[in-house]
Amino acid sequence: MIQLVDVTKTFDRFPAVNGATMTVPKGVIYGLLGPNGAGKTTLLKLMAGILRQDRGTIVIDGEEVWENTNVKQRLLFLPDFVYFFPHTTIRQMADFYEQVYPSFSRERFVELQEAFSLDLDKKIQQFSKGMQRQAAFWLAFSVQPDVLIMDEPLDGLDAFVRRHVKQLLIDEVVEREMTIVISSHNLRELEDLCGIVGLMERGTVRLERDLDELRAGMHKLQLAFRDGFPSELVERLDIVHREERGSIVLLVVRGEKRRIEETVRAFHPLILDVLPLSLEEIFMYEIGRGAHV
Amino acid sequence: MSRKRWSANRAMWTQNIRQIGWIAILHLLLWLAAIVLPIALVYSQYDPKVGNMPQWDSVYHISNALEALIAWLVPVLAAAGVLRYMHDKRSADFIHGLPIRRTELLTGQIVFGWLMLVVPLVMVALVAIGCLYGLDLPWRLKAADVWHWFGETIVIETFIFALGIAVGILVGQSVLHVVLTNIFLFFPAGMLVLIYKNLSLLLSGFPDIHYYLSTELERLVIPIRYVMLMDQPMSAGEIGLLLLLSLLFFAIAVWLYERRPTEAAGQALAFRALRPLFVYGVAFCTWLVGGFYFGEVERQWGWIVFGYVTFSLLGYAIAQMVIAKTWRVFHRWKGYVAFIGVMVVLSFIIRADLTGYEQRVPAEADIKQVYFGQSTMNFERPEQIGRSFVEYDQFLRTKENIEAVRAFHEQLTHDQPSPSHLSNVQRVVIGYVLKDGTRLIRCYEVPLESYMTHFRRIMESKEYKQQYYLLLRPSGYSPIREVTIRNMNTGQPVLVLAEPKGIEAFIEALKQDLWNEPVENIIMGREVYGEIELLQSDGDTLYFSINADYVHVRQWLEQQKVWNKLTE
Repeated sequence: MIQLVDVTKTFDRFPAVNGATMTVPKGVIYGLLGPNGAGKTTLLKLMAGILRQDRGTIVIDGEEVWENTNVKQRLLFLPDFVYFFPHTTIRQMADFYEQVYPSFSRERFVELQEAFSLDLDKKIQQFSKGMQRQAAFWLAFSVQPDVLIMDEPLDGLDAFVRRHVKQLLIDEVVEREMTIVISSHNLRELEDLCGIVGLMERGTVRLERDLDELRAGMHKLQLAFRDGFPSELVERLDIVHREERGSIVLLVVRGEKRRIEETVRAFHPLILDVLPLSLEEIFMYEIGRGAHV
Repeated sequence: MSRKRWSANRAMWTQNIRQIGWIAILHLLLWLAAIVLPIALVYSQYDPKVGNMPQWDSVYHISNALEALIAWLVPVLAAAGVLRYMHDKRSADFIHGLPIRRTELLTGQIVFGWLMLVVPLVMVALVAIGCLYGLDLPWRLKAADVWHWFGETIVIETFIFALGIAVGILVGQSVLHVVLTNIFLFFPAGMLVLIYKNLSLLLSGFPDIHYYLSTELERLVIPIRYVMLMDQPMSAGEIGLLLLLSLLFFAIAVWLYERRPTEAAGQALAFRALRPLFVYGVAFCTWLVGGFYFGEVERQWGWIVFGYVTFSLLGYAIAQMVIAKTWRVFHRWKGYVAFIGVMVVLSFIIRADLTGYEQRVPAEADIKQVYFGQSTMNFERPEQIGRSFVEYDQFLRTKENIEAVRAFHEQLTHDQPSPSHLSNVQRVVIGYVLKDGTRLIRCYEVPLESYMTHFRRIMESKEYKQQYYLLLRPSGYSPIREVTIRNMNTGQPVLVLAEPKGIEAFIEALKQDLWNEPVENIIMGREVYGEIELLQSDGDTLYFSINADYVHVRQWLEQQKVWNKLTE
């Protein structure tokens, strides 16, 4: 479990992360969402023990991360721009990781060779950006960390590899209970992957939600009434958004689907349709207009 | 350290060998080229009939300048190499994400870098000894000389490397790392020169840098110190001090590294607290440089102030630009105004001369002897005086001269003549050796005309004259064997005296003229009519120029009927 409490990190008087608090339970994929400049990268680097917070605590499985080799041996950070030593090959990087991370598995590395099909002895810098990222994933999966922290990891991968990597990530979580934190400015990319989503804005985590709960907890209704919209209904429902198109009223409502339907039926609507809400819409309504997810 | 952690460090070393191992190879090749190659060359070119052996008294004689260059630059390079990982943003993130504690990481890097210096040196030493004993020539150098060189070189290289490590932690860019390490190597000596030079602008009578150079300032500059090892070996104390400082630098580096933010990579300075130090430090240095430059070139207060302001402003702006990584720093002018304010106050405090430096003239009763001349160096090294046949710098002991010099000094403390390049100026160095052993030195640039009476009183005195001219010094010269008088324009001899009587008469006349020689001639020189060449019995020659004031010589030459030939 990863726990951040009131974490602040300031660069040159600019607070990149400002009092962020978040919790990542063991064995979940946590999606960290937010617009550019929200502080996602900084937060991830703090979590990985690369940066040191000015204030607050960052704890993984009960231990502080900063300068803690016990924690860092079980943790891997994949940056947005992957780094390899200059003029190095995948084989050499694998040797390096094997010496640095006790959990590195040769078998896993060999096993994954087929999946990634990259030249072991070619200099990594000669690879394309997407191939370099694949190499990074290959090495990361071979390390078999308990915690994998990734900054915009799927950028630059083609659709096929992307699906493959996603599957590998899900397998790791299911089989080994790996905890994954993954950042993105694109909610759609995380929609089918994450169990929990945290939304970052101006250096703080504004909200954390279980995606399934979130999906179940908000609904879009299309309604029409014979004598206009009954004002009493406004008080009985937790309305997030209301829009009228002629006689048809569009509502976005918080709450359980069955209960909402029951409540509305009591007013005898002419039309009652419960429409699916995309995750993006849910977020839009959840946090108001300020955020662009 | 557990086995697992050691494994992580081994991984770093493997990576180091791949990435920066070439520095060790370069180090090895350079030293082989500097030490072993010349030995091999001597062997291949040796001719037993000629017996042509080089005059190598120590390993430093083999290729001195190159050796100093290697010992200076390779350690700087090694430090930049092993700390490169923290100066590149992406590599800094990567490395600091690894499960290695910072202390272990840096210690590992320091040891690796140091081994890149030591291992090649050991190899070169062994190869050199092998050559000296294996190649059968009458070498002067012995194994002990090689080990001596090895020891001193490793001390110097370690020191420069340690300084480089400490500087590397403070900065966030490799280029700045190399530049600042080199600046710091020359910093102590450079700062002293600048401060002394500027004090001599602010304090009337403050001796300029040559005085302090004579106290072996160059020892403070380690690369220069290496060159000097040829004839000034290190004492145990010096070795101890350098090693102690090296350890201190390493310890400071590790301590700071624990506190160094990872995001410093790519920044000019790794710690925020250093920024004002850097900005105002650079402004202060350039302030001094500006004063120094215009003090030397223009010698006028208007220009000196101009130099202070423009140079420090430039330094301040550049330092700000380096830190902000943009040239748009002009809104940060307030700090500069504050700086100027502080400097003006400081200058006034120095000008106010709270210690009474400018006015200090020793009481006559305390003075054992005075020094009067143009060089501050000769005050420190009296053994240098009395070797050439005119000697401007002198120690004077007679009561009259002590009084005269003291009076001159008192006048100068009162007038405080300001330097000017317009009038005919003369450098005046006045020194005192007091009866209790203390020494005092002052240095002035004075306009000649206004102080001629003082110059005359001292320099026309018998004591001064006698020491000034070799010819007037008792037993200052060997018997004169031959006198040749030459025409100034043609260089042709007009008279050659070889018989003792004639020589004696001529020398008497010349001596009389020298005793009467007016001070103007000594300082400024006069129109020259001819040249006198005196050949001593030991083979040395003395030269004198005949001028209008040499009435006795002229009279004598007219008697010989050669005066006209001289002026033809």
